[in-house]
Amino acid sequence: MMTGGVRTVTLRVGSIVVLLLLWWVAARLMHDPEVLPSPGAIAATIAEDFVKPGPTGHSAIFHISLTLARIFAAFAASMLLGVAIGLVMGRNRLVERALLAVIPLMLTIPTILMVFLAVMWFGFSEAGGLIAVMAVVTPYVAVNIFEGAKAMDGSLIDMGVAFKAQNSLLVRKVYLPQLMPYMFSAFRYAFGMTWKIVALAETFGLKFGIGYMFFFWFEQFNMVQVLAWIVMFVVLMLALEHGVFARLERRAFAWRAAIAH
Amino acid sequence: MARVRSQPEVIRPEPMACAAIAVRDLTKKFSKPGTDSQFIVIDDVSLSVEEGRFVTIVGPSGCGKSTLLNIIAGIEPYDSGSVQVSPRQGTPMHEPRIGYVFQSPRLLNWLTTAGNIEFALEAQNVPREQWQERVTRQLGMVGLAGQERNYPLKLSGGMQQRVAIARALAIEPDILLMDEPFSHLDAITARKMRFDLMGILAKAKPTILFVTHDLSEAVFLSDRIYMMKTNPARIFKEVAIDLPRPRKPEDPRLLDLERDLVQEFFSVLEGTG
Amino acid sequence: MTSVRRIATRIPPGLATFAVGLLAWELLSLFFPPVIFPGPWTLLERMVEIYSDPSSYLVVAQTLQRIFEGFAIAMLTGTAFGLLMGLKRDAELFFDTWIMVLLTVPSVCWAFLGVLWFGISEAAPILTISLIVFPFVAINIWEGTKAVDKGLMEMGSVYRANRSLMFRKVLIPQLMPYIFSSLRIALSLSWKIALVAEAFGAGGGIGQELINWFQDTRVDMMLAWGVSFMIVMVLIDVLAFRLWARRAFAWRPQLAT
Repeated sequence: MMTGGVRTVTLRVGSIVVLLLLWWVAARLMHDPEVLPSPGAIAATIAEDFVKPGPTGHSAIFHISLTLARIFAAFAASMLLGVAIGLVMGRNRLVERALLAVIPLMLTIPTILMVFLAVMWFGFSEAGGLIAVMAVVTPYVAVNIFEGAKAMDGSLIDMGVAFKAQNSLLVRKVYLPQLMPYMFSAFRYAFGMTWKIVALAETFGLKFGIGYMFFFWFEQFNMVQVLAWIVMFVVLMLALEHGVFARLERRAFAWRAAIAH
Repeated sequence: MARVRSQPEVIRPEPMACAAIAVRDLTKKFSKPGTDSQFIVIDDVSLSVEEGRFVTIVGPSGCGKSTLLNIIAGIEPYDSGSVQVSPRQGTPMHEPRIGYVFQSPRLLNWLTTAGNIEFALEAQNVPREQWQERVTRQLGMVGLAGQERNYPLKLSGGMQQRVAIARALAIEPDILLMDEPFSHLDAITARKMRFDLMGILAKAKPTILFVTHDLSEAVFLSDRIYMMKTNPARIFKEVAIDLPRPRKPEDPRLLDLERDLVQEFFSVLEGTG
Repeated sequence: MTSVRRIATRIPPGLATFAVGLLAWELLSLFFPPVIFPGPWTLLERMVEIYSDPSSYLVVAQTLQRIFEGFAIAMLTGTAFGLLMGLKRDAELFFDTWIMVLLTVPSVCWAFLGVLWFGISEAAPILTISLIVFPFVAINIWEGTKAVDKGLMEMGSVYRANRSLMFRKVLIPQLMPYIFSSLRIALSLSWKIALVAEAFGAGGGIGQELINWFQDTRVDMMLAWGVSFMIVMVLIDVLAFRLWARRAFAWRPQLAT
């Protein structure tokens, strides 16, 4: 009998091992690296991309950092704007009504259309990419924060006012803690959207970056490199989502866990 | 012609085993998750319920009464001892049929009341042509005639529990298990339900094992009571109630009995500390 | 997702703002050439132009067919995996990493891999749609099985219900709200992914129209195609699902009345 913990680890590790093994067997059977290269070949290519400058004269580290920089810039910008809009919507009836008519429309527009529009209006530039991401992500963030602002416990604010709390204190100790769950769900969601749109924008719009390299090798029909860049991207994003975000969230919600247990 | 050949022998229950439910030396442990320590839920419990009798287990919350019912119903495993449920005598041999009325009605809210009863009938492989007759009869029996097409969420809590009772009776159970079926109802509804249950039983005569923490309910309903305590979970007393039926809840003999039993409970509970 | 829906139901009172918005858009468009920034009126004209050509309907039909095929595959496999993971703890531990990986691969990547593997064929967009949508459905159904009422399952086994009866009458009805929300998520994702897959992959379809007009820098035509298709999909969503939901949940008193 395996105890629960050992079993969990075995199954989780086993699942990755089996995935790689299936891939390896499929590659072996296919016997054509043009169609399905083996995981080993991919690993070797990734290692090579990291040390040697590629066709653009830059190593993988450059492209990865560039993509990350774009993701974080676009993410930060849409979060800031989205939170601001959401809060204003929560406070002001007129803004609320005006935007509630527009936001569902924005949310329905397919990403690809947004990206195309942004590129056509603002060119194949960093600004075009940034605006594309913001156009898609900001409404989501705004809606989430708006819901949070609406759900705010009024009695707690009254309590703060009754104690003559200063505005900054009110914001820090009463407003923000209540908004935090909404902030975080907006964060998680926005982040997932941001990197997908950045990838899309890089593939056909922007210069350099993971998506650019991926498209570059696609046009050369170089399967090994295409898969190598996809794997790099996926591993990077999984690490960010489950490493950084999960940890941040755990810390921010410590007070909730204290109640739950 | 040798007529006296060895006939296919039908295994008749032994005289001793004419009990519809026989539980012997039953023990059940739970291992606490993440540790090696074990917690004894049921400690060496023996009991029997004769056919057609109403037997009640009374005990404080958490003494393992519900677990005991679940073991008898066959939905929970146990560690040692034996549990035997026998089909009604005089019926063709079959797997014993068990009706169960839970604390909450546990109805399938997406099915009509008729659909809920038919669920049990289908589960027990009752031929489809009998369904309608049984549904009508049982709903009538529990006082819900004409409610076939209604959905459970449109019924009151008491009515929902009546549907659950109708469902249990519809399969013509060899034994009927009831786990504090009235504890979620308000006092007046519960009292009415107890009365009606007595009426139903007078007609249907099933074998019942009933579980409750309410002593007055137990003395009012039962032919016999097993009293259970916690730490360790054991039966410490068995009381027969030979009062004639129909009974009245305010019958002084019942009240006396209840008072005595309450006394007994307190002394035992204090004894265990 | 739910918050978005809730807001969508509030549109009617905002109709006035909507009209004002249209007017502002029309006024703004007067300052730009229509191929760069078309107004709503130009857009309407272009749509009429597009749909007076019968061959346009074939384009729409092709995209719709791909959407529904990918959608159907994703729903079936996603539901099956969600159930498996919800009911078997080992399956859950084993497959959740796979699901996470699938969730992380951007749709563009599948679109290109589809082309590399299958060439310009129907398989590429359908593969892309189903692979992107599948994990969302699986996760949703998996959450649904976690929320299943154990008491009802116990009741079923006390009455000796066999596997098929348990599935039909106890498990599936409890999963209906989750299956339902999966359907909606799956549909709204499918058509957006379909456009990406078509733009970069297969021959034909609305996605191809979008990228062709994009390459010609004709915003008016691109928007006319995109917006008209958007309207079709929103209509399908509202009509099919709203009406069906009302019937499927008739047993709930608050919805029935």
